[in-house]
Amino acid sequence: MTIQVNNRTVEVFSGAQVADALRAYSQVTWKQVQNGGKVVLDGAGHEVALDGALAEGSRLQVKRAARRGGRA
Amino acid sequence: MSRPAAAVLELLALLAFSSCASLPPAAAPARESRVVIFHFNDVHGKIDGFPKVAALIDAERRQGSDVLVLCAGDNFTGNPVIDQYDPPGRPMLELLNRLGVDLMTLGNHEFDVGMENLKQFAAQARFPLVSANIHPQPGSEIPNLSASRLLTTKSGVRIAAFGLIQIEPGNGLPSTHPDRVKGLRFSEPLATALEMKPLRRGADVFLALTHIGYEEDVKLAAAMPELDAIIGGHSHTRVDPAETVNGVLLAQAGSDLRWLGRVELLVRGGRVVAKKGGLIDVKGLTAEDPEVKAMVARFNDNPVFARVIATAPFAIEGKDALGALMTDAMRAAHGLDVAFQNEGGIRLRRLEPAITLKDVYTLDPFGNQVVEIAMNAEEIRALLRDSFAKGKELDLQVSGLSYTIRTDSELRILGIDLRGPDGRPLAEDRDYKVGVSSYVASSYRFAHRDPGRSLNATTAEALIRYLQGGADLSVYRDIQRAFQDPPGRNDRY
Repeated sequence: MTIQVNNRTVEVFSGAQVADALRAYSQVTWKQVQNGGKVVLDGAGHEVALDGALAEGSRLQVKRAARRGGRA
Repeated sequence: MSRPAAAVLELLALLAFSSCASLPPAAAPARESRVVIFHFNDVHGKIDGFPKVAALIDAERRQGSDVLVLCAGDNFTGNPVIDQYDPPGRPMLELLNRLGVDLMTLGNHEFDVGMENLKQFAAQARFPLVSANIHPQPGSEIPNLSASRLLTTKSGVRIAAFGLIQIEPGNGLPSTHPDRVKGLRFSEPLATALEMKPLRRGADVFLALTHIGYEEDVKLAAAMPELDAIIGGHSHTRVDPAETVNGVLLAQAGSDLRWLGRVELLVRGGRVVAKKGGLIDVKGLTAEDPEVKAMVARFNDNPVFARVIATAPFAIEGKDALGALMTDAMRAAHGLDVAFQNEGGIRLRRLEPAITLKDVYTLDPFGNQVVEIAMNAEEIRALLRDSFAKGKELDLQVSGLSYTIRTDSELRILGIDLRGPDGRPLAEDRDYKVGVSSYVASSYRFAHRDPGRSLNATTAEALIRYLQGGADLSVYRDIQRAFQDPPGRNDRY
């Protein structure tokens, strides 16, 4: 199954979840998301959970997590 | 409904929609109804938020609103406390009944508890189930399941809703083990949805309650502008606020009951004239329903966890023995030729002779799936090469073969010898069904032609089945299948 993570193609097994695509993309990025420093968005910009299901061609973007309590 | 109560409802409806861009003229409130739909999806046994959700929904009901509670599937799999309950998944049934769910669609993980348990769940649910693309064969009927339902709110609003479940492109089945959906046929979700269009007639509100994922929901909205809203699940997407695609409101509430979805529909003259939706952060709610809180506490204190599921003649110690046990279990559960387990995923040093469910989930707590990959001997070597390169030491425990990594004094790999269970060199000219955890499949870098496929079962579940199946545990002493030549560090516990 081919997934786009930050506009890069990664190959994952069929039935993979968001976490699998991130690990295939980059261990560093995976750990940043695990630690809460970054969040994962789908192709439409919605946040998705690490155990979210993926489909062939799904697009993911990893972005810095919004700081809590900061000024708007 | 009394006239004063109706007037209050109308006023509330107008206030609620006061910020809506598609606000209807305020001068014509007669025969308007406000329908509030609470929805959640992909709870996966995470039950701790239910007391707050119950309190919020009951408060809305007390206000006299037309309230609907919809569940978009995947109640099971993800919390061993619930998944290992006896009978499996029972807490979810009791909580959904207590919550007063009005309608539920089946998700792929509903089948994880097994068809007989799912049938019991469906029979005891005090709400109907909908899924238009599940077609039970004779003898495999699921009680209470139909393609669609027509619900009528207390103020008389008629709501037609149909359900959909995702299927995998390869095998045309939902993402669960194929054995669990025997006797069921599944049709393509979007094509099936188009057959539901006639439901629009005779209904004031037309909904799809889906478990096909956000991207498929967008396609559904593009294909069916007749729908007023799609309440979705499966992709664990946090759609906040709900968005409109092709005139269809599209909502999904993330996962794990961290959010509760809330959609408001203003219905006038037999059609929806305004709609909006968004998510409520469940953690931020304060009021809790004491009865539901007591239920959750009771379920979390699951005595099944302390039950001994197997007894070994001695404590099973060290990563070689524990790794052998875990990989043997993976192989046995899924009929694999070879199985690998990374040592980082072995989280106990010692398994006491009386093995409990809690021990299994302490040993293997990550919820990793078993992934099957067809690999030849050279591809297996590529996997072992990458595993060794990570820390310049043995990393993968194995079942179905043994191996020796030969290195020079700088720990550069000179070669990898593979031997079958009979001790002879592994045949080079064939593919093997190799099982690895989803962590290994996605984290290790090794060339392999077959991308692999999830077997939709966790490594911990494989171990539980192996232990409960009466495996001979006397072999897990002084056992070693992974070798380094010359020997590496001598700190392998």
